[in-house]
Parts: sequence; structure tokens; C-alpha cells
Amino acid sequence: MCKINDRSRNIGQYIPAPDDDMIICRCEEVTKGEIRRAVHAGLYTITEIRRYLRAGMGLCQGQTCAKLVKGIVAKELGVSPAELEPAGSRAPMRPIEMEVFGNERAQGR
Amino acid sequence: MKRYDLIIVGAGPSGLSAAVEAAKRGIQVVVFDENEKPGGQLFKQIHKFFGSKEHKAKIRGFRIGEDLLKEASECGVEVVLNATVIGLYLEKEVTVRIGDAVEHYKGDAIIVASGASENMVTFDGWTLPGVIGAGAAQTMMNLHGVKPGRKILMLGSGNVGLVVSFQLLQCGCDVVALVDAAPHIGGYGVHAAKVARTGVPFYLSHTIVKAEGEDRVTGVRIAEVDDKFQFIPGTEKHFEVDTICLAVGLSPMSQLLKMAGCKMEDNPKKGGQVPICDEMGRTSVEGVFVAGDVSGIEEASSAMIEGRIAGITAAEYLGYMDSIESGQRVKGHEEALEGLRQGMFAPKNRGKKIETTDEGIQISENLLKRGYIADDEIGRYPGIRQAAGVHPVMECTQNIPCNPCQDACPKGCISIGENITSLPIAVEGAECVGCGMCVASCSGQAIFLVDEQAGDGYASVTMPYEFLPLPEVGARGKGLGRDGRPVCEAEVLKVQTAKAFDQTHLLTVKVPVYMAMKARFFVAD
Repeated sequence: MCKINDRSRNIGQYIPAPDDDMIICRCEEVTKGEIRRAVHAGLYTITEIRRYLRAGMGLCQGQTCAKLVKGIVAKELGVSPAELEPAGSRAPMRPIEMEVFGNERAQGR
Repeated sequence: MKRYDLIIVGAGPSGLSAAVEAAKRGIQVVVFDENEKPGGQLFKQIHKFFGSKEHKAKIRGFRIGEDLLKEASECGVEVVLNATVIGLYLEKEVTVRIGDAVEHYKGDAIIVASGASENMVTFDGWTLPGVIGAGAAQTMMNLHGVKPGRKILMLGSGNVGLVVSFQLLQCGCDVVALVDAAPHIGGYGVHAAKVARTGVPFYLSHTIVKAEGEDRVTGVRIAEVDDKFQFIPGTEKHFEVDTICLAVGLSPMSQLLKMAGCKMEDNPKKGGQVPICDEMGRTSVEGVFVAGDVSGIEEASSAMIEGRIAGITAAEYLGYMDSIESGQRVKGHEEALEGLRQGMFAPKNRGKKIETTDEGIQISENLLKRGYIADDEIGRYPGIRQAAGVHPVMECTQNIPCNPCQDACPKGCISIGENITSLPIAVEGAECVGCGMCVASCSGQAIFLVDEQAGDGYASVTMPYEFLPLPEVGARGKGLGRDGRPVCEAEVLKVQTAKAFDQTHLLTVKVPVYMAMKARFFVAD
């Protein structure tokens, strides 16, 4: 983890790639190039990427793209995806309308 | 806040199994599931399962699901459907979306059995409508009766890719190719063989370059990759398709456990983020247990056993059983689980290329690369025997934990022995009566009855057949080889359907004598 958080580490220049305009997070329409550029701009953790680009913050909450984003970030950093801490998990675990989320029933059924 | 002794998240194979074990001890247990039907993936599994009797081998997945649901309701398990668990907090408080409200519950123990979700891969055009998960295709076909597409390319040669390809064929789809970037087929050879013999080509060391189309998939380009998974120029192939199915693995849906504060690890062998747990399913948080794919990707048979173990362990934790009793009860399940985790495809062998069987016989290279055993390779396996009169031919060539064929034969023609992963042996001297029970019992559809002297200059081959409509007796057509290519003229002699065969029909076709060991499928003219 220390290796990843070391921002002084030189990970090299961002080099444009032919598939940079490919959409990775479908819900929030974030491209591979945006994610790669963000890493080179100094955002080394999944949490930072999520907050900065909203990748994995849409309707499916990263169910589809979390692994893909992790793979892209890890590749740019030159580490194994397993070394990257995944994003935080917090309620609600599934998309839910605000009127339902706000309608709490403490008594159970 | 309503309190339960035990709250289980997920009414799939592992969750329901856990619920049954706990409820049997008088524990008040509730199972929440976000779907409208219980059973998880079991009800999509229309194929016969592998294993031994105790693993419910040769029973179709959805029937196992029906039995499990019945068992759960008899034990008094409360299953709440359309109930999405959205949070798991300290002190085992659970929030569940039910209808238009969020309800709070508290459990003295929690078992999370939330399963897994499908992985995706990216390629040019991967977001086009028509690119779907193999699991989605299965849901459409087997739960909703909807044909996913007309012409389909499958990416992924693991068991999911192979099984779903076969189901797509059964559904009447044209599977144009089965593609995998890996150099070898990842799933069982018998699953690959039953797809290959219908004529589906396999492209190993290939992957998708581009899904073509403007607003939906209209075609796909694939190309060969080198050992670093880079495209090799000049190897592109094009297919006209309307659907691309992705079967590229599963990831545990473990977010609830992370949220609950369980210690997690990223373990590629288990499919991704999983809670650190012991073999009883205990996580690092006391009273929170896991079972099934959420703790590491395997399959439904092992998930059911893991569920039973977690249920018993939770019962002990709650004080409904002492440690001696739970130890005894868990033991049998652990042995059954160990039995399933044997053979070439055992978790410990994942990613390894195995060259020879336990018996020391070379694995068919064609089977691993093209999905079928070549004519000059088949003779070396112990299930193959030339004999006078009708006799079984077992084209089972990899060590997988499965043995129903041995018990299916009333005459002792087939022997597997003590070791469940051994290859079936055609027993010398045992007399086959041609009942066909072995053919129908083989979950891999790898057993055939062959009679080389069935009549004047012709041979008969009886094959498992799971396609509708069934050909009529007297129908003429082509006999296809293991590679799916037409090899001879063939005529249907007999079509057998029996309750004991459980929807596997037995098709007996007449072929030239020299094709007795080659013709393995039939298509009517």
C-alpha cells in the first residue's frame, strides 16, 4: 500500500493510446483516457478516481466497471490490481429512490 | 426493530442450504433476496449436475432448486422476496428495502450468501446493445423464455461459456463461434465436446477486436493473440452476429461484508475481493458468516455444501448445538466438499495445464484446443472398447469428480472405482443389454451405445439428444463426427424417451460400419 501512496514516485508520462476514447464506466460515461490521465495527474487511489471522475458512482455503483477501472489504474501505476484498495462500501448497496430511502420503518414488518 | 436469531442474505443455493440447517435446529431464520423468485442461479441451470449421488449428480439444477425450496419450506424457513439488503452495520443491524420502505432488522447471527456478478471485458463497441453477459442470456432463455439473439458469438470457454453455448443451441440460436483468449479450453472437455459435435467452431488464443454496428451489434471481428495477448496482424476473422455473449468470469459481491467491517483480501484465485474466512465460513467479525460464491467463486454444488456448513456453524454460535455435535455434523459435509474439489479442475489446479490423466494417459490436445477428441486419439482411453454386440463407449477423458454412470449400469459394464475422479473403464466380459441408462445418466453427454454389427453391413450408434423437435424414426440425415463435420449418411432407427432418462432422449442412428466409432451427432436433412 505504501508503494501506491507514494506520490513522489515517477510513473512516467501519460502517453495517448488509440483506445483512450473507449467508455469504461457506462453509467457516468467515463472513458479510459480520462482515467489514465487522472492517474498521471496524481490520483493514485480508486477513491480519488471515483470522486474526481465519478467512475463507478452511477446507477450500478461500479458493479460492471469497478474491476475494469482497477485494472486500468493498476496498469498505469505499474502494480498488480490486487494491491489497490477498492472503493469504500457503504449503504445503500443498491440504487434506490430517495423517497424510498427516506421512508424508514424501524419496527420491521 | 424486528429481531431474528439468524438473518441470511441471499436465497440462492448456499443461502437456502444454510437456512435449512439452521431452521432444523429450531432457529428462527429469515432469508432476504432481492429477486422475485428464490433459488438464485439454480433455476437457470437446466443441465444435469456432475458429482456423486451425495452431490445430487445427474439431477438438473432447477430440480435441485425445487427440492431445496421444498426442504426450506418444510423446515419453516421464512423467505422474503423482492427484499434488497442495502446495509449491514455494527451489532448486526440490517437494512432492507421492501416495497416503498427501508426496514430495519437485527440478527444475533448473519450469513451473507450474496453470490457473484458477471465480469465484463472491454473492446471497441463493447457498450453496444447486443453485447450481453452469458448469465443474462441464461436468464432470458431459462427464466423468461426469451431467445437472446439469432446469431451469437460466445467469448469465454470456461464451464459457463460452454454450458450457455449449448443452451443457446437448444434454444434454437446459431452459435457461430466460441472464442477464448487463453490457449486452452478452460471448462470440462465433455461440455466442450457436446458443443463441438454440433458444428460450433472453437477459436482459442483469439479475442474480440471490435463489435460492429451503429446502434446495435451487427457483426464482430476477432483475431488471434500471441502469448502476451497482443493481436497478431493478418489473423482477423469476421462473423455476422446480432449478439455477443461474454462469459469471462465472476466477481464475488462482497460489498456488504466490507461494509460490516470484515477483514477483506483481494484474491485473484477466488475471483476478487473476498472476506477472509475459515473453512466454516466464519469471518473476522464474530457472528457474521459467509457461504457460496461471495467467499470465492466455485459452483452451485460446492455452494450448497458450504451453506450447510455455515448454517451448522451459526447454530453452534447461537448456542443451539454444542461444538461436539457441530463438529460431527460438519465432518460429512467437509468430506463431500473435499470430494468435489478433486481432479484436474480442482481449485488448486486453476490455471495449470495438465498434460496427463491420473491414469497416465495423455490428454487430447485437440480437446483442449478445438473442443473435440480426434479420431486417432480416442482409442487410448479406458472407456473405449471394441466389442461384439451392443456396448457402451465412454468418451470421458479428464479426471473430474463425477460417477453416476457406474451406478447407472445394471450389468456392471462401467467401472470408476473408489476414486470419484477416475476415468470410467469399460469392463471386459460384462454384458450390455442396451438399456441406455448410462447414456442418459452422463451429465457430460459423453456416453454412446455402439453396435458394430447391428445389421447387414451397418452399425448403430445411440447418442444422448437434448434438442427439440425430436427427429422421427426413419428420418434421414447426416452423421456428424466429433468435430461437427458431416461424415456419413445416417438414418434414425429408434427414438427413446423415458422418465428415468429425465429429458435426455436416446437417438439410435444407422451408420456405415466404419463410422461406428466416428459418428457422434445427427442432423436431419
